[in-house]
Amino acid sequence: MNVLEIQGLTKKFGNFVAVDNMTLNVKEGEIFGFLGSNGAGKSTTINMISSLLQPSAGEIRILGKDSRKHSRHAKTNLGIVPQDLAIYDDMTAYENVAFFAGLYGLRGKLLKERTEEALEFVGLGDRAKSRPSTFSGGMKRRLNIACAIAHKPSLIIMDEPTVGIDPQSRNYILESVKKLNESGCTVIYTSHYMEEVEEICSRVAIVDHGKIIADGTKEQLKAIITDVKDLSIELKPGSAYSLQSIGKIPGVRAVNEKEGRLSIQSDAAVDNLNRILKSLMDGGAEVKALQEEEPNLETVFLTLTGRSLRDQ
Amino acid sequence: MNVIQIAFKEMLLSFRNRRTLFFMLAFPLVLMLVLGTALANAFSTTAAMDTVRVLVQDQSSGAAQQGFAGFRAEMEKSGFAFTDFKPGMDGAAEVEKNNYDDYAVVTNSGIKLYGSDRNAVASNMTQGMLSAYADRYNAAAAIGAADPAKAATAFQPAPSGGYVKELSLDLDRMPGSMDYYAVALTVMIALWGAMSAANLVNSEIRQGTAARLVAAPVRKGEIFAGKVLGNLAVNMLCVLVVITFSKVVYHAYWGDNLPLVLLVLLSVVVLSTSLGLALSYLLKSSASGGLISLAVQLASFFGGAYFPLGVVEKNSLLGIAASLSPIRWANMALNNMIYLGDSTQVIQTIGLNAGLAALLLAASAYMMSKREGL
Repeated sequence: MNVLEIQGLTKKFGNFVAVDNMTLNVKEGEIFGFLGSNGAGKSTTINMISSLLQPSAGEIRILGKDSRKHSRHAKTNLGIVPQDLAIYDDMTAYENVAFFAGLYGLRGKLLKERTEEALEFVGLGDRAKSRPSTFSGGMKRRLNIACAIAHKPSLIIMDEPTVGIDPQSRNYILESVKKLNESGCTVIYTSHYMEEVEEICSRVAIVDHGKIIADGTKEQLKAIITDVKDLSIELKPGSAYSLQSIGKIPGVRAVNEKEGRLSIQSDAAVDNLNRILKSLMDGGAEVKALQEEEPNLETVFLTLTGRSLRDQ
Repeated sequence: MNVIQIAFKEMLLSFRNRRTLFFMLAFPLVLMLVLGTALANAFSTTAAMDTVRVLVQDQSSGAAQQGFAGFRAEMEKSGFAFTDFKPGMDGAAEVEKNNYDDYAVVTNSGIKLYGSDRNAVASNMTQGMLSAYADRYNAAAAIGAADPAKAATAFQPAPSGGYVKELSLDLDRMPGSMDYYAVALTVMIALWGAMSAANLVNSEIRQGTAARLVAAPVRKGEIFAGKVLGNLAVNMLCVLVVITFSKVVYHAYWGDNLPLVLLVLLSVVVLSTSLGLALSYLLKSSASGGLISLAVQLASFFGGAYFPLGVVEKNSLLGIAASLSPIRWANMALNNMIYLGDSTQVIQTIGLNAGLAALLLAASAYMMSKREGL
């Protein structure tokens, strides 16, 4: 069953087409990754699903019902975790969650139970009476999630929920997303961290210039990329090399360096390994290890859009 | 139910905001105390006087001497102290040295008075009293010349209570400084509601919570109504606290018809909330906050919140500015009702405020409905 169905969705701001005739389905029980660079139309699409923006054309159906004609039904079944924190600093964690849950019709004992449950779920049960101004960035992000789940929505949209937080909080949030999904909640997840998407999402759509340019499971997307190989070269500490020189070698599409490890995307059809190694050794670098890796989502994104997601 | 919930949230956030508490409660109460105390004399209709010291050289004789002695005895009961001139004294020099306020020389042909600029009020009073006595003496002398039998009657002291009965030149009660500033500053904070109203929508956008509110199954109209209701309740509660405090602690006079006073203030609060909301939608930026602050301060200044304007010429710049200030409308209406018992202007002010508020609220609701998001 499709929790979300989008048909011919279009949004124009004057002459600018932010979302262009988009069609997409999200199935019940999925964690659906929504990838796109800044300005690709990802946030505009999410805002239309969340009723924050009205579509210029097209249709959004949530649990089989048109979201405009059955706005209350759509909104009741939706939980949103906006990228920017959406909490009141002068209200306690409990008051924040209870206020938003109350807007979904929860009252009395049920409201209290669900509020406490949501706070426990994100690990803030013992800080229910504290105000967010006393929280760390990660705790605020977790409260932001709690405010979206207390009413037990069928579909949760999480827009960059891990931006700017420490690894421990990030792991906590990723585990929470998995647990939510296991409890039967469908999740739409956007992130600039490709490894997060790779870790938790069961299906991914890549958006570019307002259109979905690829949609499928991680394996299906990676299978698209048959003409690219990923090389990972570990260098001895202190090795000198020129990324520019490597980038000029025929067949090399992109070169990145992180913590003494070079990541090189190259045309699979071009046999350029010897030239790459020669370029490194000519510069005085010493290679410690070399490995040809399976293409990952980063490679897929780079190949399809021509840009790295993280660099946006 | 959603409306009540949103209104309650607004109240909770407002009362947890120290800035709100300071500006809406502490500031007007402190300002009331400072202005009410500092300008107390400016509102007083009486002035305390020390005894008026008069040096008298009585050179008169017969009926004139007798008449002046009677006058002197009466005046000594009313705060005048007469001292007889002693040989060798220089009367004018004594006044100049401030040993006396006045120096009077009484003769059969009239009275000469030497006053002092230093004690102008005392001198004027002495002059007035002596003039009145001289007129009466002249009248009695004329009667005596025409009919000597009635001269004695003419010299008798006036009957108690005088010849003129003052019905009411002054009001039974005039506003003291604390009374004036209690009303003026309470009206001012009622208008300050415009500043918090301007922030009602912008604060949700700034905090990111606008997205969550719009995404919830709540109609925009409910969000709008809840926010307006919350702001009205907060401002009206502040007004009530200020009135109660001024009444109990400062003993400010609010008249006998407190419900009507509250109705006028409620109309100002409704107008200010509507004004703030409408401007925030119209200007669509944080500039609305600055503009409203400026407008409210000008309205306070020209409305007489900081100092009483009194009667101003309608066509003057000050008159035009004052006539545009809702604080002025409400101040005049309330003072007329409290001190004259005239509620005509109160009804007009409530009607005007309510009418303007309805227009501004309708405009805000329309602009909100046309916006995507809040």
